[in-house]
Amino acid sequence: MKKFLAVVKREYVQRVRTKFFVVVTVFGPVMMILFTVVPGVIFSMKAGEPTRLAIVDETGKMYERLRDELARSDNESVDAASRSMADPINPNSNSNNRISQAGRMVHGNYEVEEIKRGQQTMAEVELSLDQQVAQKKLDGYLVLPKDLLAGGRPEFHVRNAADPFASEHIQDCVSRAVRAERLREAGIDEGRVQEMFARANVITRRVGGSGEESKSNQNFYLVFGMGLAIYASILLYGQVVLGAVIEEKQTRIAEILFSSMRSFPLMVGKLTGVSLVALTQLGIWALALLALATWGVASLASRGVQVTVQVEPIVLLYFVLYFLLGYGLYATLYALIGSIVTTAQEGGQLAMPVVLMLVAGFYFAFPIIRSPNSSMAVWSSMVPFFAPVTMLVRIVTERPPFWQIALSLSIGAATMVALVWMASRIYRVGMLMHGKKASIPEIWHWLRQS
Amino acid sequence: MEERTPTLILEHVNKSFGKFKAVDDLSITARPGRVFGLIGPNGAGKTTTIRMIVNISVPDSGHIELFGQRMHTALQDRIGYLPEERGLYPKMKIGEQLKFFAELKNLDSRRSDQSIDGWLKKFQLSDWKEKRAKELSKGMQQKVQFIASVVHDPDLLILDEPFSGLDPVNVELMKEVIVEQKTIGKTIILSTHQMDIAEQLCDDICMIHKAQKVLDGRLRKIRSSFGRHAVSLRFEGGDGVLDDQTLVAQVKQKSDEIEVLLAPEAQAQLLLRRLVDSGATVTKFEMVEPSLHDIFIEKVREHQ
Repeated sequence: MKKFLAVVKREYVQRVRTKFFVVVTVFGPVMMILFTVVPGVIFSMKAGEPTRLAIVDETGKMYERLRDELARSDNESVDAASRSMADPINPNSNSNNRISQAGRMVHGNYEVEEIKRGQQTMAEVELSLDQQVAQKKLDGYLVLPKDLLAGGRPEFHVRNAADPFASEHIQDCVSRAVRAERLREAGIDEGRVQEMFARANVITRRVGGSGEESKSNQNFYLVFGMGLAIYASILLYGQVVLGAVIEEKQTRIAEILFSSMRSFPLMVGKLTGVSLVALTQLGIWALALLALATWGVASLASRGVQVTVQVEPIVLLYFVLYFLLGYGLYATLYALIGSIVTTAQEGGQLAMPVVLMLVAGFYFAFPIIRSPNSSMAVWSSMVPFFAPVTMLVRIVTERPPFWQIALSLSIGAATMVALVWMASRIYRVGMLMHGKKASIPEIWHWLRQS
Repeated sequence: MEERTPTLILEHVNKSFGKFKAVDDLSITARPGRVFGLIGPNGAGKTTTIRMIVNISVPDSGHIELFGQRMHTALQDRIGYLPEERGLYPKMKIGEQLKFFAELKNLDSRRSDQSIDGWLKKFQLSDWKEKRAKELSKGMQQKVQFIASVVHDPDLLILDEPFSGLDPVNVELMKEVIVEQKTIGKTIILSTHQMDIAEQLCDDICMIHKAQKVLDGRLRKIRSSFGRHAVSLRFEGGDGVLDDQTLVAQVKQKSDEIEVLLAPEAQAQLLLRRLVDSGATVTKFEMVEPSLHDIFIEKVREHQ
């Protein structure tokens, strides 16, 4: 036990004390914020001047409406309800929505002028406008044909035809304007239509719960957050575990260690030490996040927005258990790889399937959300490498019987022990073989050899 | 007094890796207060034998007894082992590493601090205690590695090629320490392929060649049992005397003298008389004990 603790202590202290650890701990959250917030900011930035747009209105009554429509999206984003109203024909597919939303953000700034055709032919007007566009006096122009309301197709001439957001946005504005004008001509009150198309918001309640409104959405995100946390910490620390196992091979200390203690407690000690480092770092981040969240909720509350986060304590406990299980299992896999290879580079290649397995767990999550008690759901939540994601999905959707949770946890724990045992054995025998990378038959042989 | 209870007994120990036989029916006995030399060329099976003694691997068959007990994990704490492949944690401070290795041998903190300071002082490394291993020269690192093997004051000290890579000054220092450990009653197993060093330090030896023991026993007895069969000579004239096959088995030309291995049954006195009779001027005529090297070569030849 004393030897085991000595190993844990060494692994922990040597790592936590490094500058690298301190830097990553402090700047990790900063980087995370940069990577989540900055793209959004960049995306919403309007590069340069407002878009200068000329409109040739052949109908003679659409210009005002369209101008207002373009101006409206200038400073206010159209809320979802009115958008779905204004666009009832389009089945709003998600991606379409997002693009047009982004387009609105980026292209929310227009300088619009009306071009009267007067005595000129259409061709002449277009020629002069084309010149203006070419001379960069204009960014583009829109031609609304006479039969626009009857289905005629407007033309959008633009210098930068590759910008999907611009044309998408113009398309939106024109169709809204056209729709409104059609409604007016048919003598229908636009306000009435908006009311009629108002969205009916369905409230989801879980049957058999404590009667409260279900927080299934929120829990669902928690599960995904959880999966991501395991994923991220494995990507972060898998290499560290690998390095820790390889370290003594490369420094040739392994022989001294093996002459002092058994390889199983040595391997467990290494895993524990590195895992404590990981937990320390994650703990610091979690506290920072919690503080930030508390502050955020408080500041929202002070503005009158109530945010309540409700997670049942037992669910929280399962989260912690499955996080530890997930982390432990995958860390052990990395240790196993470390015991086979001699350099971190080799290890990196072998680790690829491990990462894929982790991703596979996420794939299972989707069908399981729909039918949490299907046999696939049950079985996949018993597979230790998927359970941390799949079982949690089941727990927050339709709580499985306790014995299933207990069974999946036990299978996971047993797998972990078996893997550590294998790793320690391969590690010891492999070291005696003068540190060359092992082939599968060799590994099998080592496992049986004492 | 020399017949104290053996520290280590190996009886008919075998170890194979696949089809390769690394140790073949090896039996040895090492006693306290003596240096036991495990001698043989590279690849003879010395390291494999040692690994079984320190419980890194287990014999396929045979019996290992240490301190009068069958080998088990707790006995590892009483062994100090300096492996042939040496290493330190490059980024760890010398003091911390030694403490870690002491902890692995179940030494309590206070005693290990004392021991570490004492040993560092002895090897003139006290100023380096707070330095990282990678900042040390190779020779210094070797000394630190040696300290790691003795820091817990083991009863059995196993040194695998302890002198390789050391400069002459440190070789002498290391020899002194080995003798010192021996005189305070420790058992020392010295594995080496350097016969001259074994000759200087060992009380008992076991020669291994191709996994098999070819010779073992007390060094002094072994050497005397090989008889005074060699003569170191310096002379002028006397042509043809050394060509007599009934008298001389082998002639080795050394820098300024000749070493003659006498034929079996031949008398050294006869050789001297023949040389004098032939009119040679003999300036040196000395009986020499055969070197371990010669014994080893001869034994290996016999064995094949």
